[in-house]
Amino acid sequence: MTLDWSILWQFRQALWSGLLTTLWISAIGIIGSTLIGVTVGCLGSLPSLLLRRLTGSYVELLRNLPMIVKLFFLYFVAGLPAIAAALLALSLHQSAYIADVTRAGIRSIARGQVDAALSLGHGWPQVFRYVLLPQVLRVVMPPMTTQYVAVVKNSAVVALIAVQDLTFETQQINVETFRGFEAATAATVLYILVALAVIGAMTWLQPRAVRR
Amino acid sequence: MSGERAQSVIWWGGVALLAVFAAERVAHLEWAAVAPSWWFLLTALGRSWLLAVIAIGVGICAAFPLALLRVYGPPGVRHAAVGVIEAVRATPELMIIFWVYFTWPYLAGNQVTAWNAALGSLSVIAAAYLAEVIRAGLYSVPAGQIEAAHSSGLSSYQSFRFIVLPQALRNMLPALIAQLVALFKTTSLVYAIGVMDFFRAVNVTKNAVFAPYALYLVLGAGYFISCFAITRVVRWFDPQYQLVE
Repeated sequence: MTLDWSILWQFRQALWSGLLTTLWISAIGIIGSTLIGVTVGCLGSLPSLLLRRLTGSYVELLRNLPMIVKLFFLYFVAGLPAIAAALLALSLHQSAYIADVTRAGIRSIARGQVDAALSLGHGWPQVFRYVLLPQVLRVVMPPMTTQYVAVVKNSAVVALIAVQDLTFETQQINVETFRGFEAATAATVLYILVALAVIGAMTWLQPRAVRR
Repeated sequence: MSGERAQSVIWWGGVALLAVFAAERVAHLEWAAVAPSWWFLLTALGRSWLLAVIAIGVGICAAFPLALLRVYGPPGVRHAAVGVIEAVRATPELMIIFWVYFTWPYLAGNQVTAWNAALGSLSVIAAAYLAEVIRAGLYSVPAGQIEAAHSSGLSSYQSFRFIVLPQALRNMLPALIAQLVALFKTTSLVYAIGVMDFFRAVNVTKNAVFAPYALYLVLGAGYFISCFAITRVVRWFDPQYQLVE
C-alpha cells in the first residue's frame, strides 16, 4: 500500500474550514446543552415531586434515543434548516446527560448544610452562592469535561445531513481522491487535538472556578 | 405528606390526559402505508440487536487483555495500552466506523463488506470503553485486601484470581451491561456505511412510502424500548446503580 500524505496539504483549505465548522458547532452545542442541562438538573433537585417526575421523564426520553434519530427527525421530518437541526439535536442530546450530572452533584451535598445555612438566617441566593455553588462545581467539573468531549465527538454525526464539518470534508476528500485512509488519519488527529483542548481548558478552569 | 400526594395526582392526571390525546393523534397517523413493512422493520431491529450483542462479546474478549495490560503491564506496554484506549475514546464513533471501512482494504488487500466493517468498528469501540469499565472494576477492590492476601501466603496470581477477580467482576457487571445501552445507540451510526440496521431500514421505508411521523414514531419506540429494557436489567442487578455513559 502506498500512502500519499501530500493529499492533506492539497486539501488543507477543506480540512481547515471543516475544523472551524466542527469547532463552532461544538462550542454552541456545549453552551446550549449546559444551559438546558443545568436548568433541568436544578429543577429536578427542588423538593417537588412534580418537577422531579417531569425532569426525570425528559432525561429518560432523550437518553434512550440515539443522537442521529433526533438529528434526522429535526431535519427531515420537522424540516428545520441543517445547521439549526444540528445545533438543536446536539444541545438536546447532551443536555440530558448534563442534567443528570448536575442533579448528582447537588445531591452529593448534605441536605443539612442547606438547612443549617437557612437557619443561620442566610437567604436562598446566599445559600446558593456560598454553600451550594462552590461545592457543586468541584464535584461536577470532571464529569462535565467528559460531557463536553462527548459533544465534540457527537458533532461528527451532523456530517450525515451535509453540514460541512471535519467528518464531511474527510468524506469529500475520499470521494474525490479515494484517499480515505490519509483523510481519516488527519481528521482523527484533529479530533483528538480538539478533545485535548477541551480537557486542557476545563483543567485550567477548575481551580479558578472553585475558588471562592 | 399531602403536598406530595396532590402532586402525584396532578402528575398521573397529566400523564393520563397526555396518553388519551397522544393515542387519538397516533391512531390517525399513516399506519396503512407502514403496515406492509412491519416484518422488514422488525428484522432490521433484530439486526441492530445482533450487531450490539456480537460487538459487546468481541469487545469484552479484547477489553480484558487491554485492561490487564493497562493496570499490570510493564511501563512501556502500559503506556501503549493507555494510548490505544484513550485515542479510541477521544475519536468520534462515526470516524472509527469510516476508519475501519476505509483502512481494511489497505491492510487486508481485499474489499470489506459493510456488515463486517460495522462489526469490526463497533467491536473496537466496545473494547476501548469496556477496558475502562474493567479497569474501574479492578481498582474497586481495596489494596488492603491484596496486601492481606500476600501476607497470608498467596502468590500474586492467586491473589488476583481468588481475591481481586471475583469481587471486580461483581462490581463491574452493572457497568458492563450499561455499555450495551451506549453501544446499541451507536449501532445507528452504521447507517453511514450502508448496513441495513434499524435506523437505515426506517429511512429506506420513509423514502418509499409517505408516512414520516408514523415511521419516526416506530423508530423512536424501537430504540427507546430496547435501551429502556437494558436499563431495567441494570437496575435489577443493582438498584443503586447510576447509569453514566
